[in-house]
Amino acid sequence: MSANIAIDVDRLKKQFRVQKNREGLAGAMKDLFKREYTDVTAVKEISFQIPQGEICGYIGENGAGKSTTIKMLTGILVPTSGGLRVNGHIPHKEREAFVKGIGVVFGQRSQLWWDIGVIESFQLLRKVYKVPEAEYRKRLTELVERLKLADLLHRPVRKLSLGQRMRCELVAALLHNPSILFLDEPTIGLDILVKTEIREFLKEMNQEHGTTILLTTHDLQDIEALCSRVIMLDDGRIIYDGNLTDLKTKWSKGREIQFQFGTQVKLPQLEQLTAGLEGVQWKLVNEVTAVLWLPMAVNVSDAMARVVVVGDIRDIKIFETNTDEIVREIYQTEKTPT
Amino acid sequence: MFVMGLFWEYMKNYAKTRLTYRADFWIEVLSDLLFQGLNLIFILVVFQHTDSLGGWSQAEVVFVYGYFMIPYGIFNTFFNLWSFSERYIVKGEMDRVLTRPAHNLVQIVLENMDPPSLIGSFIGMIIVGISWSQLGMPFELLDLLIMTALVLSSVMIYAGLYIALTAVAFYSDSPTGILPLMYNIQNYGRYPVGIFNKTIRFILTWVLPFAFVGVYPASYFLERPGIEGSMAILTPVVGLVFLFIGLAIWNHGVSRYRGAGS
Repeated sequence: MSANIAIDVDRLKKQFRVQKNREGLAGAMKDLFKREYTDVTAVKEISFQIPQGEICGYIGENGAGKSTTIKMLTGILVPTSGGLRVNGHIPHKEREAFVKGIGVVFGQRSQLWWDIGVIESFQLLRKVYKVPEAEYRKRLTELVERLKLADLLHRPVRKLSLGQRMRCELVAALLHNPSILFLDEPTIGLDILVKTEIREFLKEMNQEHGTTILLTTHDLQDIEALCSRVIMLDDGRIIYDGNLTDLKTKWSKGREIQFQFGTQVKLPQLEQLTAGLEGVQWKLVNEVTAVLWLPMAVNVSDAMARVVVVGDIRDIKIFETNTDEIVREIYQTEKTPT
Repeated sequence: MFVMGLFWEYMKNYAKTRLTYRADFWIEVLSDLLFQGLNLIFILVVFQHTDSLGGWSQAEVVFVYGYFMIPYGIFNTFFNLWSFSERYIVKGEMDRVLTRPAHNLVQIVLENMDPPSLIGSFIGMIIVGISWSQLGMPFELLDLLIMTALVLSSVMIYAGLYIALTAVAFYSDSPTGILPLMYNIQNYGRYPVGIFNKTIRFILTWVLPFAFVGVYPASYFLERPGIEGSMAILTPVVGLVFLFIGLAIWNHGVSRYRGAGS
C-alpha cells in the first residue's frame, strides 16, 4: 500500500442486530420472554481508497449508510468485518492515538461545551489534544481571522446562531491541525451566505494545508463547489465512485438546446432539419422559441450545424441537466428492482 | 499527569458555570447534608433504645458511618453517572467523546463531576475524628496512611460496581431501574454485618461488596474481633478486582456502542 493513501477501506461491513417488536399487547408479552432479532446490514462490504489531499463527497439518501461509514472511519463504531486503515491506524483499535490526527464535525451535534464561552471550549480542547501554547495561539489567530469569529469568542455557545456555531465547530475540529477532516452534513440548515463562506474556507484549508476532507451532504452544491470526487452510496453499497463530471456524463441522458428564431417556426419544419439524428426531440415553447433535446450520443455541433441553416436565429441556450436531477434519477432507477 | 491537567481544566470550567447559579449550588450542598444528617440521627435514635447493636457501641457505629461518608463523597464527586444512558447513548454524545484523544471514561467522569459532594467527605472525616477521640483510640501517622489506602480501595469498589452497572446501557436498549436498587442495598454496608442473616452477609461481602465500603475497613481501626476485623485487610484486593471487572465490562460495552440516529 502506498504511503500517500489517507483512507483505505477494504470490504468494510457493518451489521446491526435489531430487536423485532411484535404487534399489540400480546406481542409485547411474547417479546418479554422470547425476543426475536433481525440482522440489518447498514454497510455491505464497500471498498475505496482516498489519497491524501483529496476532497471527497459522500452522498446518498437517508439511511443509505453514510453516517455508519463515517462513524466507522472515525473509530466510533467497530466494523463487523473488513479492513480499515485511516492515517495508517485502525481507528477503533488505537482510538486515542488515531483521533489526534483527525478532525470531526457533526452538523447535527455540537462538539463545544454549551454553557461556557467559545474560547473556553477551545482552551479545553487544546489541553485534550495537547497542543503547545504557541502553536495553539498561531492556529487560533489564523482560524478566527479566516472565519471572522473575533466578536463571538467570549459568548457562551448556547447564545450563538446556527451559522456562528457551525463556524466555531470548524475551529474546534481544526485546532490540533488534523490531516483528515470528517464532516457529517456540515452545511445542514445554514443560509446561503454561511454555506458559501464555509465552502470557501474548506477549500482554502485543503489547498494550503493539504487537509484531506471527507464530507457527507444532501446539498449537491457542496459537492459541486468542493469535491473532486464523489462516492455515492445506496442501501449500503457504493453505486458510483469517480469525479463529478463523469457522474454527469454517465448518468445524464442528454441536454437541451433552446433556439429563439427570428420568424415563426412549425414543428414539422424543425423535425425535418434534424431528420436522421438518432433520438432527438423538438418541443415548441412558443411561436418563435423551440427546445431541442439531444441524447448524449449526438454531438451538439452536429445538431447545431443542422439547425443554423435556417439562418435567422436570435439566441441559443444550452442546458446541462443539473446534478440534482441526475442524482434524483439515479436514486429512482436504483429503487426499481433489477 | 495528563489526566490531572485535564481534571484541573474541567474543574475551572465547572466553577465558571456553577458560580453563575449560586443558589442552586448551595441548595444542592444543603440537601446533601440534610440527607446524611438524617441517617446519622437514625443511628442515634436506635441507640436511645439499646446500648449495643450486635455487640457494637454507639460510638463504634457512628465511626463506621463517618468512615463510610469519606469514600461515598469521593465516589459521588466523580461517578455522577446517573444520566449516562440518556445523555450519552440516547442523545449520542458518546460520538463526541469517542473522537477525542483521552480515555472515554475519563472524559465522561470529568464532564459530570460534582465537587459539592466532597463536602460529605469532609464531614465524614470530622465524624471519624470525633468518634476516634471518644473511643480513646491511640493515633499514629501510620493510621492515616492506612486510612487513605482503605478509602481509596473503597472508592475503587464503588467505582467498579457503578461503572459495570452504567455500562449496561451499552448492552440493553433501555436499561432497567437497577441503579436505584443498588442505591438501597449500599446502605446496608454501613451497619455491622453481624446483625444481618447469612445470605445478606454473603451478598454484602462477595456479590455487591458494600461491606468493604463501610464496616470492614472501619473495623480495622476499631480492632474488632471476628469476621469484620479480619476482612479489612481484603479491602484493597476486592477494590482492585471490582474495578478491573467494571472497566472490562465498560470497555467491552464501548465496542458495542451503536451510535444514535443519523
